[in-house]
Amino acid sequence: MKLSKYPHVVQKEILDNLEYPELFLLSFVSKNMITLIKSSQVQRFKSINYISYDCCLNNQLIVKISSEHNEHENLVKIVEREETDNDYFPLNVSGKMIDFQLSRKCKFPVAAYHLYEKESVIQSIHNYFIHLFGDSMEYRWKTDDCKTPIPQLQNLSACITVFISPIHGDMKTLENVFSSISVLKSVDIFAQFPTEPFSTESKIYKAEYIRTNQLNHNVPEVLRYFQGRQAFLSFGLFEISDLIEFVNSWKSGEAFQKLEYLEIGLYSSVFPLHQVLSGIKAKYIAPTKKPPTHTLPKVYIANDNKENTDPIISHTYVVRESDGHVASVLIREKKLFFGVWDMREEKFLRIFEFSMVDLIYTESVKALVQVSVRYGVWCANTAYSNTEPYDNMH
Amino acid sequence: MSSTEQGTSSAAPAEPTTAPESAAAPEVPESFYYVHGKDKVVHKVSAGALQHSALIHGMISNLGYTEEQAKANPFPFENIDGDILQMVVDWCNQHKGKPTPPEDTNLPKQKEKLFDLVLAVNYLEIKELLTYCCKQVAMMVKGKSPEEIREIWMIPTDAEDEAAEKEAKKRAGKEAAGETAAAAGDAK
Repeated sequence: MKLSKYPHVVQKEILDNLEYPELFLLSFVSKNMITLIKSSQVQRFKSINYISYDCCLNNQLIVKISSEHNEHENLVKIVEREETDNDYFPLNVSGKMIDFQLSRKCKFPVAAYHLYEKESVIQSIHNYFIHLFGDSMEYRWKTDDCKTPIPQLQNLSACITVFISPIHGDMKTLENVFSSISVLKSVDIFAQFPTEPFSTESKIYKAEYIRTNQLNHNVPEVLRYFQGRQAFLSFGLFEISDLIEFVNSWKSGEAFQKLEYLEIGLYSSVFPLHQVLSGIKAKYIAPTKKPPTHTLPKVYIANDNKENTDPIISHTYVVRESDGHVASVLIREKKLFFGVWDMREEKFLRIFEFSMVDLIYTESVKALVQVSVRYGVWCANTAYSNTEPYDNMH
Repeated sequence: MSSTEQGTSSAAPAEPTTAPESAAAPEVPESFYYVHGKDKVVHKVSAGALQHSALIHGMISNLGYTEEQAKANPFPFENIDGDILQMVVDWCNQHKGKPTPPEDTNLPKQKEKLFDLVLAVNYLEIKELLTYCCKQVAMMVKGKSPEEIREIWMIPTDAEDEAAEKEAKKRAGKEAAGETAAAAGDAK
């Protein structure tokens, strides 16, 4: 059976039926095969959201593909070589010979390295991915090991889970690991034990996404130094004055310019609604008007598997003095939501007016109208939405 | 299912046996057409079964043949082996008017038969069967190393590809030179 004898359309159909590990192995057969894979699988490769290196126990890395169709498909495993195994076959991976094996346990190939060559093996495999999947593909390094440096690889950002406690190492080591990361996508911090403060210049504040579960709201001080886009914070101990200081700092335009969404949850106490709203000098929209819904795709989808931020429907908002942009503020007992709109106050208020007109329209024709904006999605008729409307006025 | 008998190369084929009718008789009498492959064995197939093939369906929809005319003019598929055409006809009959299942386990397991079947099905434009066949071909390399894949699908090495490319260039050069010489001769 000569694959090359088939017309291109049939070759494509056959390749469409291969899973990623098989395509990966097929790509080593010849240069012409790589060309065929790349030309016939353009659509499939376009549907890939990112490729992740998941750090597992025993120095193992599992490379996974996250796409529109499948949340995670294993591609290859990278492990320390077992000298007792004798079923390896060498492959030339970006100029480096690397031993692979196929086991019945795994439905994907396993690349093996000697400890002294671990970095170069990962580098070669990564270079090969860039060659196969194109140089615009996003890569993520997912780990909860904050002692081992993360390799510097093209298009790679880090997604780190950090446990901060005396048994999980000192802050200096942690800060060193963070500072070695070129792009920090997400940080998930569990800080239940009092520790030393983070440096004000710490890389963690530069993460695009941060989620914390911290006893003291000042360790880390996300409300003071965060420079990323989305923050999901849970505090045991909390000072309202720091929240007011954060909002005022945002309003001045001096900090948090990239912030799109903030969510704060308190372990036990509730937010003093009136104290907060008066402290931040919140503005109000008449209760007769229907507020738009603020919701965003999450930068990083955590274990809760929620793709979007919780919807904020609020009559309360604040305005950034530097550019007139608006943020909806919603307080609901132990939770506070802060959603920044990519629009100035004037336009924001027009949406309120428009939403009233639109509400009447939708009520009469029973249609759902959605208008997306860069930083948010406004649902004109939330009566048809599955989400429970939140509002300070309720 | 259709049964067949050995045909001849003559214009008028031998009388083929009719495919058994399904239990529920159609309200309108069904029309039949005739096809043969390289071995000249003629297969009688219903228009309903032939609908799976976009190629044949396109051909018959414009012909308006009577039963007699269809019998006298079987569609010749000289590029398809008789046993392969038989498989195709059987498949079309089995799946006549039925939704196609997600898997088909009745496909040939032998590599060469499957290879020929894929070519035939692609030529006849039978989309669902092509999908099954391609899945089957893809399954052949599941859990195989690159060298094993090369062997199964007979994929040339880079060196072989380069040699073939050189050879093709050389041949093209010779042909071009030949054409130039012929043109010069004509001019004289």
